[in-house]
Amino acid sequence: MKETIDRLRSDGGERIAAADTPAGIEALRVALLGRKGEVTLLLRGLKDVPADERPAMGAALNRLKVELGELLDARQQELAGGASGEAVEMDLTLPGTPPCPVGTNHPLVSVLESICDIFYGMGFSRGEGPEVELDYYNFTALNFPDDHPARDIQDTFYINDKVCLRTQTSPVQVRYMERREPPLACVFPGRVYRNETADASHSAEFYQIEGLVVDTDISMADLKNTVDTFVRNFFGAAEPTRFRPHYFPFTEPSVEVDMQCVVCRGKGCGVCGQTGWLEIMGAGMVHPNVLKGAGYPEDKYTGFAFGMGIDRIAMLKYGIDDIRLLYENDLRFLNQFRGVL
Amino acid sequence: MKISLDWLREYVAWEDTPAELAAKLTAAGLNVEGIEEYRQSFPGVVVARVVHREQHPNADRLSLCRVDDGSGAEVQVVCGAPNVREGLTVLFAQVGAVLPGNFKIKKSKIRGVESFGMICSASELELSAEGDGIMELATELPAGTSADEIYGFTDTVLDIEVTPNRPDWLSHVGVAREVAAIYGTKVSMPYKWNSQQSGENLGVKVQIEDYGDCRRFTAYGIQNAVRGPSPKWMQDRLRAIGSRPINNLVDITNYVMFELGQPMHAYDRAKLSGGVITIKRAEAGLTVQTLDDQERKLDEGTLLICDEAGPIGLAGVMGLANTEVGPETTEILLESGFFDPMLVRQASRGLGLLSEASYRFERGADWDMVETAALRALYLFQELAEARIVPDWADRGDPDYRPAPDIPLRVWQVSRLLGAEISTDQAAQYLQALGLKVQPMGNPGAVSANAVNMMVKVPSFRRDLHQEVDLIEEIVRSHGLDNLGGGDFRGGAGGVPADRDLQLRKARTWFAACGYHELVTSSFMGEKDHEHLGLPEEDIRRETISVINPHHGGDTRLRTVLLPSLLQVARRNVNAGAALPLRLFQINRTYLPAGEKRPDMKREDEALLPEEPLFLQFALIGSREVGMGGVPADLLEIKGTVEALATFLRVPLAVEPVGTERWLQDGAQWRIVADDQVVGTAGRVVADIAGNFEVEVPVAVAEINLDRLALRPLPLKYEGFARYPAIKRDLSLLVPGAVRYGTIRDKVQEVGGPLLRRVDLFDIYRGQGVPEGFGAYGIRLKFSSAKGSLKGKAVDKAIEGIIRGLKEGLGIEQRV
Ligand SMILES: [Zn+2]
Repeated sequence: MKETIDRLRSDGGERIAAADTPAGIEALRVALLGRKGEVTLLLRGLKDVPADERPAMGAALNRLKVELGELLDARQQELAGGASGEAVEMDLTLPGTPPCPVGTNHPLVSVLESICDIFYGMGFSRGEGPEVELDYYNFTALNFPDDHPARDIQDTFYINDKVCLRTQTSPVQVRYMERREPPLACVFPGRVYRNETADASHSAEFYQIEGLVVDTDISMADLKNTVDTFVRNFFGAAEPTRFRPHYFPFTEPSVEVDMQCVVCRGKGCGVCGQTGWLEIMGAGMVHPNVLKGAGYPEDKYTGFAFGMGIDRIAMLKYGIDDIRLLYENDLRFLNQFRGVL
Repeated sequence: MKISLDWLREYVAWEDTPAELAAKLTAAGLNVEGIEEYRQSFPGVVVARVVHREQHPNADRLSLCRVDDGSGAEVQVVCGAPNVREGLTVLFAQVGAVLPGNFKIKKSKIRGVESFGMICSASELELSAEGDGIMELATELPAGTSADEIYGFTDTVLDIEVTPNRPDWLSHVGVAREVAAIYGTKVSMPYKWNSQQSGENLGVKVQIEDYGDCRRFTAYGIQNAVRGPSPKWMQDRLRAIGSRPINNLVDITNYVMFELGQPMHAYDRAKLSGGVITIKRAEAGLTVQTLDDQERKLDEGTLLICDEAGPIGLAGVMGLANTEVGPETTEILLESGFFDPMLVRQASRGLGLLSEASYRFERGADWDMVETAALRALYLFQELAEARIVPDWADRGDPDYRPAPDIPLRVWQVSRLLGAEISTDQAAQYLQALGLKVQPMGNPGAVSANAVNMMVKVPSFRRDLHQEVDLIEEIVRSHGLDNLGGGDFRGGAGGVPADRDLQLRKARTWFAACGYHELVTSSFMGEKDHEHLGLPEEDIRRETISVINPHHGGDTRLRTVLLPSLLQVARRNVNAGAALPLRLFQINRTYLPAGEKRPDMKREDEALLPEEPLFLQFALIGSREVGMGGVPADLLEIKGTVEALATFLRVPLAVEPVGTERWLQDGAQWRIVADDQVVGTAGRVVADIAGNFEVEVPVAVAEINLDRLALRPLPLKYEGFARYPAIKRDLSLLVPGAVRYGTIRDKVQEVGGPLLRRVDLFDIYRGQGVPEGFGAYGIRLKFSSAKGSLKGKAVDKAIEGIIRGLKEGLGIEQRV
């Protein structure tokens, strides 16, 4: 191989010097450095070189590649200069001036919007509702028993005994159903509140997105397929998901959905608490009591609902390790999201 | 809930690794959050015999001993226990041993005498919570044998997340039922006391004032219980799940609670007054002393267990000190009851007393288990404390109690809801494996719409099962969620974003492209925000709503204005050295209790809810440049940004040079108008007000109430345009200082004639060559016609008219 490299070095130089048109240079570039060029083929052949010679050979080949590239550029310039008259002299390394500085969109809102986009594509529309909400819509209409431990899962900020800050986007489901007849497919993003002490993974204010589908024969299989389609679209590759039975008062059967840990790929790491899985959403079939509360005839419709924390999804997607970063609005943080819509 | 696998095997058998078991439990809905290897070991602690004991030469209460620890040489050790004596078999911690609590045993000098190790007491090894003195072993094991041979224990402990609907999973037997269903085996229930009621009288009568508060209450008599340490197996299991063994009398009720899920309480019978126990609500103003020696003031209505002298226990939460079982206790009254979950929850929350018992009771007790658990405990008292059980007991319960009604199941509905074909046989098998009894109905093969295929009997430990859909959940847990779906999303037509959502998205990407940074800020406001903004008392934004249970130190009021949050971000970034000027924007809500009510209320109490207007706010921070005519460049940019935004969003926003916003400087603010309605403000934040938020650089800000603005884009229909070349003319005007450009522009347009297309201001100059009190304004006029090429003459005529109009109307001369 060493001989071939040396030969290519001298012989290649001569061929470049001999080229006399820009097209000739381009043809040579392809012949030497292109995808099937002589140098490229040699690089591919490296794997057959004995292991102890491989590093030295690799270095020599890369050097050759750089040298030939420079020769090609130089000759190209010579030929071009000859064609279009005299060159001007100016400092082209001075900084460019953009039409305006580059700003940023907040990653939370960007993630929220991109999740909505996926659901738009799947036939969902989008709705919203109040953040200061009646206890009735936040709990009672969602089949939460009064003064039951189920309410402890969500420590609630109360304004008075009838009004609270919504702990979930689910009350918007109820408001939506009260005003419409199925078929329905809608997502409800928005800000929610929990009476919790802030730390790296908890914030008293955060964002959720809830989805609702109701029609005559919506099944749990539909729920699974919808969630899988979302995960595939949002996280790109086919991340395996896992559905675990769970409990929510407003769905039955209820599930939690885990996605294989994006950090360790299921092997177990600190991010996933060694389980290999990351919980990403709660979901289930809309409880008959909730459908009844919306005024739908018994047994006529079935439906599913799902909800996920947008903060958590954003943190997973971008590897953000402290939720508080999302609410500080520090430019040193925000500027990293330039170009993310 | 921590589940010891050693313990679990007492009731059910399975063959799988802990990890495989955990995966299967998780798939069935018992989410295993951790698998812990539990190991109780005493490195360096060995069996030893006390060969010699004598008084310590320098201390009355210490002994100087030599022990045989199997090492070949006798070891000298100082011991402070009163019960140390020659011939005793003990546990000896050699030099280098590490005792619980990471207590390292070193060679030491005690009162001038060298000591090479330590003779251990049970509490030093955390093998018992009480008892003084060193352990006295009755073992024949040779000296030098590791203590692990006797006291070592290894186990695997699963940490299971138990959802609030499944209190039955807060016990080993409850989890064993699921394991049995998964592996197709049976649960073997633990031994109970063989109850044969005799003529003997317990001497206790139970009265329940309201069966709604207490569904069932049972009491049992235990005599001559011998207090002592619990057997090793019981201690090991309790310790493995993180519960500290105390003594057999305490441990037995704890053990049964973790075994069967039913909390119980033991009273010292001798301390009870009279023979009647009453379960009733507390009157106002009662104070009691609980078992943890705390004086506690009770809320009126707290559910109490009382004897004839007064309260002896807080039902479902904790016993009281006045009837506590102690070393002197010879006779115990054991309570096992079923209290109203809501009352237990209110009491435990009100008192800040969250116990293992209240945790279970507030999730709901199990009618049958009240008795089963008590009989199990009695068996253990008899076996482990040599107690005599009084063959009579008190049992009072709601005479109207009925087991839960049978639930009809339609297999058609199962398949419909799950989206998978489930047969009648399959459904029945899944339910039976979980301990539910199934009665087939009709023709079992006939799975048609609405046909009931079976009636399902609900055992008392499954009070979470109320209706068909609950059974469907049980079926899918067993069937496996993995076996559902696998197809593509069954989608309808593509969803279309609403105008408003599309417009907001356009706005936010446009702002980012213009160099603005988007903010997400808190809904809560700082305590002094309104004061700092100088908001007058009568401003409706002074009226706020507050959370009544804020987190300690947290803000309580919801914001009614966005500006403080923006200034806070500005301060943070300016202090962090961000490049100025800084462009920030946010689209966020405010909360106005005095605002407008929702137009489409479905419920009257929705009138309690505030208006939540959505605002777009943007600001330029720290610009000190001066723009045209000496006006600060940031103000002109803010104004221009509103106008450009209006163009980009195709909404009819106009900016008018008047305004009365309190935090904006007089004479330096605009109002933003759409369709004759004021929708926003723009201008310079008063420097002192910015200063109140520690922002010491200029701030120009605009905000628009998006709820007042029809965000739908103006309709568009193409119109032809003039293809003939336009003619441009520049004019230089001498403008008196008092005349505003807007007036000039309006005048030019008024008198400019039909050919005038545009008026643009390109320069204002004051200084040399311009008379004092005047400015030289450069304006560019553009003329064109749709009908044909313009003649210079026609334009000249228009210009003449403009110059005349400016002179006559505004006293403005052309500058020559
Ligand atoms: Zn991981």
